[in-house]
Amino acid sequence: MPSATGDTGAEQPMRAWKFLETGRIAPFGGHTWPATAGDAPGAWVRFPGREIFACRLDDLPWWIAAELWEVELEPPVRALETQIAAAAGRLLRRIDAWDGAALRAYGVACAERARDLAIESLTRDGRAEEAQDLGRARSMLELSRVARAYAGGGKARLSSNLAGYVAETSMRASEGAAAAAANITANAAVVALADPSAFDRERQWQARWIAEHTGLVAVPVAAV
Amino acid sequence: MSTARPQDLACRELVELLTEFLDGALDERTRTQVEQHLVLCPGCTEYLRQFRATIGATRKLAEEDLPERVKERLLDAFRHWRHGS
Repeated sequence: MPSATGDTGAEQPMRAWKFLETGRIAPFGGHTWPATAGDAPGAWVRFPGREIFACRLDDLPWWIAAELWEVELEPPVRALETQIAAAAGRLLRRIDAWDGAALRAYGVACAERARDLAIESLTRDGRAEEAQDLGRARSMLELSRVARAYAGGGKARLSSNLAGYVAETSMRASEGAAAAAANITANAAVVALADPSAFDRERQWQARWIAEHTGLVAVPVAAV
Repeated sequence: MSTARPQDLACRELVELLTEFLDGALDERTRTQVEQHLVLCPGCTEYLRQFRATIGATRKLAEEDLPERVKERLLDAFRHWRHGS
């Protein structure tokens, strides 16, 4: 487990993952990460006075972008709430399974989770026909349109609220905005279950989805 | 929950924080909130891109690149702006 200072205790270079924009571009810094060459890692990247950030498996849903890379971090590695940080890092290999199709499929999978929560809620509120309509939608756009029609009005508040979330998340999924779809769904879970911890559980489900669909294997921080 | 949630930050708040963000002057929690917001918000991401492009373009300008007439007009505008007129 990470220590109180955030130091993970790792003494060897630590494997982690990092999302980049197309062309190995850092999403916030704007710089291009040095390329790998065959099996050889890219050059180490370090900035004076700044850290390099990367993801553990559970962090992935917070930082979705077009490219996913396995990276190596130079110890010591500091553990933060939704990422890890080190003085230097380098690219090891691109996760090829994370491509445009996987990104869209992830958004759709998240939106479908919200849809299922709304169907349960509508059914509990005696709105079985509306629940069936949501279940019958054949595309994200259709789901968004149907859900939006059931989001307003003076009907049962919880199921109407959830229909609103479904309308939003499925619209985002249809646009390929998977990160936003996932975030909206995590918020929908909090509303559906009246439990703030449902947000983190939904994020964990999202991290598992990414790992299972891209073949990532968790590396326990303390064991590295 | 102690996790920084991106929805804690509105777009207009991000705009106010952008200069400090680019200067690396934000505390860790606020910087993380800005970055998590950017992941979700294409509008703010585009704003950041334009902001960076503007900084990059103005860095290439030297004082001597300005025609004398333009320099005078700018100085005049600044003088009036400082006097609040």
